[in-house]
Amino acid sequence: MFSYFIRRLFFVIFVAWGVTFATFFIANVVPIDPAIAALGDNAREEQIQEFRERYGLDKPIWQQYLIYMGRLASGDLGNSLRTQRAVAEDLREFFPATLELSVAAFLVTLLLGVPAGILAALRQNKASDVTVRVLALMGGATPVFFLAVLLQYVFARQLDLLPVQGRLDGFTFPPPRVTGLVGVDALLARDWAAFVDSLLHLMLPAFVLGLFSAAILARMTRATMLEVLSQDYIRTARAKGVAGRAVIFRHALKNASLPILTLLGGLLGGLLSGAVLTETIFSWPGIGRYVTQSATSLDFPAVMGVTLLVGLVYALINLITDLLYAFLDPRIRYS
Amino acid sequence: MKLIKAVGLIAVLGLGSALAQDRTQTLIYGGDWSDLITMDPQVSYEFSGGLVTDNLYETLVKYEGADLSTLRPGLAESWKVDRGRDSWEITFRLRRGSKFSSGNEVTARDGVYTCERALAIKGPGSFLFTEIAQLKPGATKALDNYTVMVSIPKTASPGSFLSILTFNIGGIVDSETVQRNARGNDFGKEWLTNNSAGSGPFRLVRWDRGSQVLLEASPNARLKPKLQRVILREIKEPAVLRTALESGEIDIAEGLTPEALRALANNPRFKTLRADSLRLNYLGMSVKEGSPFANNLVRDAVRYSINQDELVSGLVQGNGTKIQTIIPKGLLGYDARTPYNFDPARARRLLAQAGLPNGLEFELLVSTGICGGGIPCADIAAKIQSDLAKGGFKANVKAIANAEVLRTYRAQNHQMVLVGWSPDFPDPDGNATPLANYAARSLAWRNVWNDATSAKLANQASLETDPAKRTALYRLLTDYVLKNGPYAILYQPAVPLGLSAKVEGYVRNAQSQVRFENISKLP
Amino acid sequence: MAVLAPVNRPSRPLRRFLRNPGGLIGASLLVVLILLALLAPIIASDPINQNIAERLKPPSAQHILGTDQLGRDVWARVAHGTGISLKVGFGVVVLAVLIGVLVGLLAGTLGGAWDNLLMRVTDIFFAFPSLILAMAIAAALGPNLNNTIIAVALVSWPIYARLVRASVLALREREFVEAARALGAGRSRLMLRHLLPNTLTPIFVQASFDVGGAILTAAGLSFIGFGAQPPTPEWGAMVSETRSYIAEAIWAPTAPAIGILLTVLAFNLLGDALRDILDPRGRD
Repeated sequence: MFSYFIRRLFFVIFVAWGVTFATFFIANVVPIDPAIAALGDNAREEQIQEFRERYGLDKPIWQQYLIYMGRLASGDLGNSLRTQRAVAEDLREFFPATLELSVAAFLVTLLLGVPAGILAALRQNKASDVTVRVLALMGGATPVFFLAVLLQYVFARQLDLLPVQGRLDGFTFPPPRVTGLVGVDALLARDWAAFVDSLLHLMLPAFVLGLFSAAILARMTRATMLEVLSQDYIRTARAKGVAGRAVIFRHALKNASLPILTLLGGLLGGLLSGAVLTETIFSWPGIGRYVTQSATSLDFPAVMGVTLLVGLVYALINLITDLLYAFLDPRIRYS
Repeated sequence: MKLIKAVGLIAVLGLGSALAQDRTQTLIYGGDWSDLITMDPQVSYEFSGGLVTDNLYETLVKYEGADLSTLRPGLAESWKVDRGRDSWEITFRLRRGSKFSSGNEVTARDGVYTCERALAIKGPGSFLFTEIAQLKPGATKALDNYTVMVSIPKTASPGSFLSILTFNIGGIVDSETVQRNARGNDFGKEWLTNNSAGSGPFRLVRWDRGSQVLLEASPNARLKPKLQRVILREIKEPAVLRTALESGEIDIAEGLTPEALRALANNPRFKTLRADSLRLNYLGMSVKEGSPFANNLVRDAVRYSINQDELVSGLVQGNGTKIQTIIPKGLLGYDARTPYNFDPARARRLLAQAGLPNGLEFELLVSTGICGGGIPCADIAAKIQSDLAKGGFKANVKAIANAEVLRTYRAQNHQMVLVGWSPDFPDPDGNATPLANYAARSLAWRNVWNDATSAKLANQASLETDPAKRTALYRLLTDYVLKNGPYAILYQPAVPLGLSAKVEGYVRNAQSQVRFENISKLP
Repeated sequence: MAVLAPVNRPSRPLRRFLRNPGGLIGASLLVVLILLALLAPIIASDPINQNIAERLKPPSAQHILGTDQLGRDVWARVAHGTGISLKVGFGVVVLAVLIGVLVGLLAGTLGGAWDNLLMRVTDIFFAFPSLILAMAIAAALGPNLNNTIIAVALVSWPIYARLVRASVLALREREFVEAARALGAGRSRLMLRHLLPNTLTPIFVQASFDVGGAILTAAGLSFIGFGAQPPTPEWGAMVSETRSYIAEAIWAPTAPAIGILLTVLAFNLLGDALRDILDPRGRD
């Protein structure tokens, strides 16, 4: 078990290195000039030259790479050319918003996906099953960016029910920044109004972001449940007179949870990708919008920082999934 | 009733949150502030940075309202310009009793510190001081506690220098507070990125990057604002801006589509404003040797191919005005003539005369994003592309990141670009020299247009002090560039704004300055 | 050699497919979309023809899906966009399958250190958040449709490499390969003649899902400006260009979005059906 995790840890480091290596060289496929991106149209030639020297952009690529790796080893992700401050600082500022949104979207995924899947499996081929399957098919095929724009139009503009942008109403005084998660910060400050407000602001973007993975999860849950329900021991349990609900929750769900868990790891990673589009449309100050703006202004140190962070988070999620797997299924022993 | 308002109200009433803000005392201003990178007045050179710092810091002299020609007293109650032996000596008398938000009094020492700071930090706007005003370190002196004297060389224009001093680079910082927070030799640059130390009507309370900037009335300011708080809320999507304004999430929305503006104009709950800018959106054509645009007949064909009226009235729809000459409306030397009318047949004849009877295919570079007047660049490009096709051109549009467009343009590697230009300071020379003088290594250079006549005229005009003569020179110049230059000017964009009808006193000048202290909100 | 023929006999899958309603709907949708793509020049007008005076007009007899912000016919643009999306979807998957099969086959048959290296590279690409990586690639390559295809393919291939490698490893143990080896078949011949045909089924099933996924990702890239160039009627770009006008012209972003939805739906239904029929063990 221990050596397995050592190996996994090495793997995470290897992935991290691969991510930076790949992004770095992708970023240098085409001769780009981030100096102009940062300084704008009116900048003088001397200023551009000075900027290139300051950020080492005048050096050959391999040298730039070595410098980057050297800094990375000491935890320095370099400076963003667009925001002109440390990428690590930017990530610290923007990641909590993404985390908040992803967690909320993940809850949407779970709360919609699992019950819908179970319902469909128990009512196989009945109206509710068909409804769930059709909705899941639609959810899996709807472009997230359009859904975002459409729901904003319907819920914020036409019905005027939910806020259309941001993490907190402008008239609500933001709670002191402790964790960067507005909801948590509001709780820490015992500011209930801000807490409720932050939840309201989360609803639309979290739903938009979570729907796609909820659709996949519902399908998966349904299929797994169907399979489990047809197993002998369930039939035996039912024959022995164990009440319906107990069968479902004690036996079937427990056994269906393993394949579902595997899927969840992947879905959580997918949420980070979806956040790119959702955050851009909802003015959500997370790393998804940050990386889009950075890529648009050819700010590759920032893009690399984000890919590195997300790559690590992804690897971490996989590790946790494995751990949970071992915990839930005593048959699995890692060696 | 919006769910959020309902729940918020219950929460406030039920739980007695002391932190909810008074709506009439808070102004929320939505727009695309994504270019904000620093709150340091001597470093910031972005539109949004200027918008904020102009309200955090006071300058020695300033413009008021939309008027960009009359200097008014700022921190200096009076000033005079003397002709020294080989320099101009400009003396400012400071008002007594102006206070920074820290409570420190504004003195001559702070004025000197600010000028030296700008020169030492070498921010992106520092060329305004070093090149245009030719200001040197040590040239700013405190004669006494309330008198600052600046010497600039005879070759520089004191008028230009005074107008530069109205920008945020001239925002006087609290030298004591800044030095206390300085790290090494950084003149407090790191600290001022996220903090304010000015005597302006507001102070910076909190900046959540990518989200909002929270300003609060400064307790010690001389200029008492009518509102306690101003919040700049970052919203890039025009549709979201509109919804946010209509549902009361924000009070002012900047960057709306023409349709949204029209709809709001018909709604009594809102008012609309098209604020002037000094920007010009134009096509730049490289006249590099071997380029088809090297022949002025071809450039004329381009100018005759553009259906500018349809572009301005149909697509830009009032979020911009028709203009063909190189000095924008609002500056001396503006020439309202528009001799090029849409005439595709003539364009084809010109092309044939130029030896291109079968037309011309080329690449049109355009940036992704919004191009001024709230219109996506891609839409402008598509319109131009379709117009040019009628005149016998086949333009292949390439929409790339703005930085890529500029890189290609600066490297003289384009055929045609669709870009914009704003002068660095509100003077015709801010356009004339870059667009007409190849030696300035700016726009004329990028388009490889090396023309002795236009360069000479631009030089003459910049040095002319008599307004009438200067106007006449600019008339000659703009006419010459209009007919011979490597440009086709498309329109002068306006800044489209929607405001809640309760907002009063909002004025935005063509330099993008807004004085928040004059804005109030009706209950 | 008859032993080495594909496992499934041809007639039964077809009959099973015809009994699968989802598959039938998916297939008919796809046929309609392909017809639309082919016939677009005939049944729809010029997708880039502008008429500013007719800007943002609602659906009418003249413009059945209304017009966009440049007065272009939305139906014409949606119809012409069909072919583009199909091209992107197929292009990505073909490219991804080629890369994936190559890597998987090499890893599976070479084994040892090579296997290790190749699979770790695969893992790295697997660990990437796809849209972010695709965005970085597209930004670096410069935005156009072909680069979008390359970028999305570069983030989509690892699944095929894994599939192929797993199949190869499983098949290597199977008797008939041993038999072929005993008969003296060379290594590369072994790979091509025997292993590849047997890995086709899972690849085919996966690919039919991925076409839809690729179309979604590519549309997302175009939406944020790293895809098709104007005035190309690419669906994602169309939603992006018209989203600011949703209050005045809801048809303009909705029509291309429905195009995306139906296309992705068609491939997902088809993928489901194919999996049920061809690969019963891999069912959900």
